[in-house]
Amino acid sequence: MRVPLERKVLNENDRIAAALRERFQRNGTFCLNLISSPGSGKTSLLERTLAGFDAARRVAVLTGDIQTDNDARRLARYGFPVRQITTGGACHLDASMVERHLTDWPVDELEILFLENVGNLVCPTSYDLGEEARAVLLSVTEGEDKPLKYPATFHHADLMVLNKIDLLPYVPFSMELARENARRVQPEIEILEVSCTTGAGLEQWNEWIQRHL
Amino acid sequence: MSIAGSVLEAVRAESALHGGARVTRAGLRIGELSGVAVESLRFCLEVLVADTDLAGLGFEIEFAPWTRRCRACGAEFRVTDARPECAACGNGDTEAAGGDQMELSFLELEEP
Repeated sequence: MRVPLERKVLNENDRIAAALRERFQRNGTFCLNLISSPGSGKTSLLERTLAGFDAARRVAVLTGDIQTDNDARRLARYGFPVRQITTGGACHLDASMVERHLTDWPVDELEILFLENVGNLVCPTSYDLGEEARAVLLSVTEGEDKPLKYPATFHHADLMVLNKIDLLPYVPFSMELARENARRVQPEIEILEVSCTTGAGLEQWNEWIQRHL
Repeated sequence: MSIAGSVLEAVRAESALHGGARVTRAGLRIGELSGVAVESLRFCLEVLVADTDLAGLGFEIEFAPWTRRCRACGAEFRVTDARPECAACGNGDTEAAGGDQMELSFLELEEP
């Protein structure tokens, strides 16, 4: 007997993510999922972001890695609540990890929750974390063709942040080509250029966040 | 591997909804933009079902191409070479139409 179905494989993850999203929306929390290859600068961007925030702001970070709590320790220096999600092998965050790590936190009072995904341009794409927006980082020391090589990740992103632009004089990276490739895969994607070293472009990044609050 | 695990959870949940009938074959629809490599998924599924109650379960994996729809002429077309322009009329104003799927599309159950 053949039974036709249309059941989403990740429907359990999607169910938890939908509950998280509903909770974030109800409380006015802007939740951002940050995705990139390892080493593109997700933690650095968050460090610069937290460093620029007034201490009174209600901001928190969950940061995912396969091993170590190095990133959480880096980020905790800025005085905001930070928790490490050590996935113990999984190459992505999923909604149940997020839900579990929010326990005992004043989540409903947050204005911003940053989710720093595990460094990986493939697997995080499939897992909805309940975020309102998804940002993918691409640094200029990588290839301009990453959006074409990993179209799923860029296709599902609302924003592409081109990072490490202070290194442009030293690398053969075409910003124009990177922008064009990202727009081929996702015509509506917004694009920002930043350097976490010099601080260039961070004002636009902060404005982008502010627009979502 | 975690996606393969979720596939098997979905298979078990659906089989339970049908009185726990033994599943002999499962159909999956995997989109080009789902982030899943079909051959890796097949390999992981085979590893995970071995020596379990689902041992011997066969999988039929259907590939769902990346498609967009033209806002001008309405044509739905397959995206090739990551070109978002309409394949029918050339218009640049198109919207996402498919390729995200990661679905269980059918189960074949043993008759009681």
